[in-house]
Amino acid sequence: MSASPAVRIERAYNPFTWSKRTRRNFRVGMLFLSPWLIGFVVFALYPMVASLIYSFNDFSFHQALKWVGLKNYIDLFQDKYFWIALANTGYIVVIGVPLILVFSFSCAVLLNIKVPGQSVYRMMYYIPAIVPTVASTLLWIWVLNPQYGLLNTALGFVGIDGPNWFRDPNWSKPALLLLALWGTGNTMIIYLSGLQDVPAHLLEAAELDGAGWWQRMRHVTIPMVSPITVYNSIIGMIVMFQYFTQAYIFSRVSSANYAGQSPVGQPLNSTLFYSIYLYQNGFQFLKMGYASAMAWILFLVILACTVVMLRVSERYTYYSG
Amino acid sequence: MRTFKIISLLVLAALILSACGGGATPVPPTQPAAPPTTAPQATAAPKPTTPPPTAAPTAKPAPAKLKVWIEMSDNPKLFQDEFAKYGKVNNAEIEVVCPAPMDKILAALSGSDAPDVIAMSGSTLAQSLAYQGLTLDLKELATMGGIDLNDIYASSLVVCQQGSKLACLPWGTDTNALFWNKDMFEAAGLDPNKPPKTLDELNQYAEKLNKKDAKGNYTQMGFIPAFPWSQQGTINYLFGGSNYADGGHTLTVNSQGNIDSYKWAQSFYKKYGAKKVIDFQSGFGDYASSENGFFAGKVAMAVDGEWVTGPNFIPKFAPELNYGVVPIPVAANRLDKYGSATVGGTIVIVPASTKNKQATAKLLAWMESPETVAEIMYQFANLPSSKKAAQDPRFKTIKNFQVFIDIMANPNSSGLLNSPINQELNDAITKAEEEIWATDVDPAKLMNDIQKEFEPKLKDAWAKVK
Repeated sequence: MSASPAVRIERAYNPFTWSKRTRRNFRVGMLFLSPWLIGFVVFALYPMVASLIYSFNDFSFHQALKWVGLKNYIDLFQDKYFWIALANTGYIVVIGVPLILVFSFSCAVLLNIKVPGQSVYRMMYYIPAIVPTVASTLLWIWVLNPQYGLLNTALGFVGIDGPNWFRDPNWSKPALLLLALWGTGNTMIIYLSGLQDVPAHLLEAAELDGAGWWQRMRHVTIPMVSPITVYNSIIGMIVMFQYFTQAYIFSRVSSANYAGQSPVGQPLNSTLFYSIYLYQNGFQFLKMGYASAMAWILFLVILACTVVMLRVSERYTYYSG
Repeated sequence: MRTFKIISLLVLAALILSACGGGATPVPPTQPAAPPTTAPQATAAPKPTTPPPTAAPTAKPAPAKLKVWIEMSDNPKLFQDEFAKYGKVNNAEIEVVCPAPMDKILAALSGSDAPDVIAMSGSTLAQSLAYQGLTLDLKELATMGGIDLNDIYASSLVVCQQGSKLACLPWGTDTNALFWNKDMFEAAGLDPNKPPKTLDELNQYAEKLNKKDAKGNYTQMGFIPAFPWSQQGTINYLFGGSNYADGGHTLTVNSQGNIDSYKWAQSFYKKYGAKKVIDFQSGFGDYASSENGFFAGKVAMAVDGEWVTGPNFIPKFAPELNYGVVPIPVAANRLDKYGSATVGGTIVIVPASTKNKQATAKLLAWMESPETVAEIMYQFANLPSSKKAAQDPRFKTIKNFQVFIDIMANPNSSGLLNSPINQELNDAITKAEEEIWATDVDPAKLMNDIQKEFEPKLKDAWAKVK
């Protein structure tokens, strides 16, 4: 006579009641899982837990830990550069992410139009996404050169005196946004695949009902790709909160103070992003505990933003099928 | 489910306990590995008639294996060759890594397999590492290796001093002077053989040398304080200012000399328009290229280092440049400082984890020997920090190089003092400098703010130093 479902479930969770076969199956399963598990524990879980512990300690590189409780966190909230870095990062997230979404969606819509050479256009729009980040940043530094760069030269042809993209704090972040827009190939590809899944019969029905292009876009296409928009916006938000490489190289080149001291954040702290300040504290000032506290604050901020975005998106996301 | 939770909690607890272990296991600074330099060779049994085929009474001891990392990337082959020569003569195998990025150096220092000697382009980080006990006191190694510290210019040693200890040793060093373009002077109606001696003269000459186009943008400038990069540390020093006193235990960023120096630089940018000057400087090419502002004839005067006179810079990128070099101009009331400057550059450190102190000391002694310093520093046109090396006649063949040797030897020249918070303080000062040049902010206010912020940090930092 077989046991009731509740009893069977309880037995499944209690290893002491397992049969030999079940134990063997469990061991084999764990063996298959072990490569990932070891990697996760060694390269992800251990560093996470270690950094959490460091954040409550005064820890500098190779010295013994010295417990300081919440001091690192309190000091952070009193550190003016912490707030500057957070504000700069907030700018990039709040302005950059929507801009990237709009731009990549627009590109995807254009690349979805059936024209001769469509595959060539798709390739041209995607290639910047696979150019290594450092190489592309150095390339853009030449493009944005205030005197000889392509962009200011082109603006000059139409009578616009281009700004000093590197050294003007009002234009340094927009310059970085230009870099980011150039490399939106991945987001664009995801939107492109989403556009393939928009049911043709809905678009036809809307057209038959007299809906124009913009109405079809607004009431059919955009809602149908809304899950992709949610996905792209969350991923984009996470990536932008950790914005580092382009800004680091950009500020190093733009700085007037370079003398082997690795200045970052120039001009006038306008490119001092959160990850850059974290890196500076950890690897230049050797304040590992302080940097770890910054890392955990960033984690909590990203977590909070992700939860909020998921909650808000439930209202505006349409899942077909 | 319960079982999974129990296992997870046990794993987490194990990790927490291991994380509380307090960092990587420290490697003993010396290990009793076979000491090849002390292994005696001459103890073979005296049997001249029948030497057994397997016995090797004259066998050489195993070569000492040492690792040298050099941060700078100029001419790695030269370093490889020089250290290989040392290795052949001294029964040592020297593995040279050049260039060695700073991130790699920091990672190695936190591990157990750091190199034996590291050469770095500046002393700021070296001081921080020494404060944390990650590097050896080189006074001890200097004694072990027989290095004559009196042969090293006192001005170049200041950046390495930590109280009675030596955090590093200079390996070649640097200083700055004023370069001026004689042809540009002549074209502007100035005497090409009479460079400025005071800052007032510098200002006057600069005004005459400035040129603008029809739109009011600069096409040529006489001088830019932040070209090729900020020399504010040196200029502050010549104004009598400094960031520290009492061997680095007292913070003096808001000293009057510093503030006067910043005000002078700010007045310069204000007079010519900070935005226009910065825009003009943005158009310069790479520092090490023919598009360098000074090499390309866009800036008539520039404060720069001795390496510019060497084979990798002016002779390479602007061989026809008609230029001269003199000490940096000073304020009219600080003529006592004329002919001096701050001194500091390449240094060497020895990680505390080095396994063979004896061999390392010997290698260090070779690196610091006048012959080696002269040979290597001549190739790069870097200042020889050794007095005997500075007498090498080859340095006289480098045009305008002697000015820098004289500046280094000037009793008023000195390295800059430091502290355990040097990196962080320098970063804050760098940010403040940029604000001073680009805006109308009061330099005294900024320096007072930095003074207020960093005084308690300095006190805490010194309290932690062993």
